[in-house]
Amino acid sequence: CVVLFFTSDRVIDVGSEWRTFSNEKALKDPSRVGDAQNPLLNGGDLTTMISKGTGAASFDEFGNSKYQNRRTMSSSDRAMLNAFKEISTMADRINLPRNIIDRTNNLFKQVYEQKSLKGRANDAIASACLYIACRQEGVPRTFKEICAVSRISKKEIGRCFKLILKALETSVDLITTGDFMSRFCSNLGLPKQVQMAATFIARKAVELDLVPGRSPISVAAAAIYMASQASAEKKTQKEIGDIAGVADVTIRQSYRLIYPRAAELFPPDFKFDTPVDKLPQL
Amino acid sequence: MDSGNDEALDIIITNVVATFRTRCHLNLRTIALEGINVIYKPEDGKVLMKLRKPKITASIWSSGKIICTGATSEDQAKVGARRLARCLQKLGFKVRFSAFKVVNVLAVCSMPFAIHLIDFTKNNRPIASYEPELHPAVTYRIKHLRATCQIFSTGSLTITAVQENAVKRRTQNCHFRNNVGKNTKNS
Repeated sequence: CVVLFFTSDRVIDVGSEWRTFSNEKALKDPSRVGDAQNPLLNGGDLTTMISKGTGAASFDEFGNSKYQNRRTMSSSDRAMLNAFKEISTMADRINLPRNIIDRTNNLFKQVYEQKSLKGRANDAIASACLYIACRQEGVPRTFKEICAVSRISKKEIGRCFKLILKALETSVDLITTGDFMSRFCSNLGLPKQVQMAATFIARKAVELDLVPGRSPISVAAAAIYMASQASAEKKTQKEIGDIAGVADVTIRQSYRLIYPRAAELFPPDFKFDTPVDKLPQL
Repeated sequence: MDSGNDEALDIIITNVVATFRTRCHLNLRTIALEGINVIYKPEDGKVLMKLRKPKITASIWSSGKIICTGATSEDQAKVGARRLARCLQKLGFKVRFSAFKVVNVLAVCSMPFAIHLIDFTKNNRPIASYEPELHPAVTYRIKHLRATCQIFSTGSLTITAVQENAVKRRTQNCHFRNNVGKNTKNS
């Protein structure tokens, strides 16, 4: 449809040229021209392209398709589109919701347009944006988790993370032990009671400053270990270390720090399967 | 803020990094063969020469650029650099000592109290940055002094800056701020 503007008293009806009903075959919607996605992120092109034919006539005698021309339609944003695809793949591997993906895309676009991190690998910037987006949404993922779905090393993601924060002049909230509890506990298959106990233990341990200088992930892992050992569902340090991405010696170290005051760390209404004095001492 | 404690704080400069140029091309093989206390690293394209006094390690490139590390003060760095240039001169190169510049000064300092990193970061939001997954210390950057400070939960600080006095001023600054964020074990 072409929209023409006349400086007259005629009013142009800019509605659709034909009527479409929602019940009809949704495959063909004649009022749609051009792709729907993301005009905001891609700089708004309404370009279309010729697709490869499906009939028998579109292939020549050797089996090659007659129309092979698939020239890139948006060369300026090709890198960005590639990055979005990569972000989508990464997010899909860890089942991240749409809002985080959108936030990541927005961050990437801002960083890309600023061009201050131009020399860095786009995948590294994409991974770092994903990390920041998860943090900003209040559901942080550890660097190791992002590493697991990306081809970039943790060191490089960490570097890009710091650079992006400087470039965009934002800051992120500090991670707390509680952010990871629900994810780690459900991955381990621990019941809700144990999860709540572990969250309480970790929070109390940080409040009492029993674990100065330890990463919140290590403290969380040690708390989960303590809570699970006190309940019916006992998990080994190795299993917890596997899920949390922490070495089991690290869990052992943090556990040694919280063990002396284990009795105060448990929530008051916790049902002990193994009493506090029978907790393993490593 | 109790500035009385400042006198008791000793700031120990542990490392001074300086660069200078010899203004002539150096043959690394000759240095490697005839020099004493040298390590030749052909894959990096440099020679490491270690001096006993002052205790300095220098990376020597064939272009004539030299980086000296390991000195404990700016003056020592200069003396060491000159001694090194003299060494190279004795090996037969026409060395001209030029463009001596102290690039980095690293100092350590220890606070007599432990520091609560999380509260400290919250109070000093944009300047301090703490990423427990990446590094166990808070990095505190002071822009106008061009100094970076790394604060550990045990109360140790490491400060890097371009000049010695900047390092000293930096510590005094930090001490005031830490008094706000400090954590005494009794409380």
